[in-house]
Amino acid sequence: MAVQTFKLPKSLKEGAKFSFCPGCDHGVAVRILAEVLDELGLTENTITATSIGCSVTIYDFINVDAIEAPHGRALAEATGIKRARPDKCVFTYQGDGDFASIGIGESLHCALRGENITAICINNTTYGMTGGQLGPTTLLGQKTTTSPTGRNVEYYGYPIKIAEHIALCDGTAYSARVSLDTVANIKKAKQAIKKAFEIQMKGLGFTFIEILSTCPTNWKMTPEQAHDRVRNQMMEVFKPGVYKDITAEKTV
Amino acid sequence: MGKIVIDESRCKACYLCIDECPKKLIKKSEKTNKLGDHLVEFCDPNNECLGCAMCATRCPDLAICEVYKG
Repeated sequence: MAVQTFKLPKSLKEGAKFSFCPGCDHGVAVRILAEVLDELGLTENTITATSIGCSVTIYDFINVDAIEAPHGRALAEATGIKRARPDKCVFTYQGDGDFASIGIGESLHCALRGENITAICINNTTYGMTGGQLGPTTLLGQKTTTSPTGRNVEYYGYPIKIAEHIALCDGTAYSARVSLDTVANIKKAKQAIKKAFEIQMKGLGFTFIEILSTCPTNWKMTPEQAHDRVRNQMMEVFKPGVYKDITAEKTV
Repeated sequence: MGKIVIDESRCKACYLCIDECPKKLIKKSEKTNKLGDHLVEFCDPNNECLGCAMCATRCPDLAICEVYKG
């Protein structure tokens, strides 16, 4: 008898069609997030604050209540939601420009306050929705529409390593960086998201997942080449791993 | 003997699933979407599909919406 090994998560709206470009990893990120909500049974008990950027459309696809925040202020709004309704699961889904550029103040201080919120940040090294400008995570040497000769240190400075910065905050309970370039890494990313939600529901502190993603349109690559770039260039600078986990047993 | 179900209305022709399949059972189809890009189709004449769901895990657009095994 045939056993179903894959089905679409119930947390996704029925008939949902993603509006992302072909080959964009946003779709995978939204799907694994919905699968985690299904597995933890949190769909009916979750509120999300959404951001600005390609990540904004998440409320069109996921069956949870959502509030739209001004650019970069998703975690400030999520703080209000969580403090008013501490029993609810609250998460934000943001891009790197939203989280680490315009919203870096809100994001870092949310981590420093140790709010029981899960933040998911998609890092694709550019501003995808507005046409591929230089963002806070743009790699050195990367050509964008606002750095046509490539990012150089003298003029633009260095890219920010978000997961490491969040891990340094004392209020953070869990900070990890994951990638979506292979099926094995997609499964690891899902486990990391699940762990973050579990820690949030235990009330241990701020949890953060940075997801290395692709932007084939603005990188001017095929989806396959874009995954090669994630493996060969991005993962050299943004190393995947768990940077802080207060639930892990201390080895020292 | 496994089987996958492809929702053609969702396929955006990124072709990530073609490289992902360990048995190479997914290929470009003659059919096109409304942008003129060739869709993918499941072609398994010798019943080789493992039902591993790697294609569905990779698909960013929910186009591979069901996978069966055995």
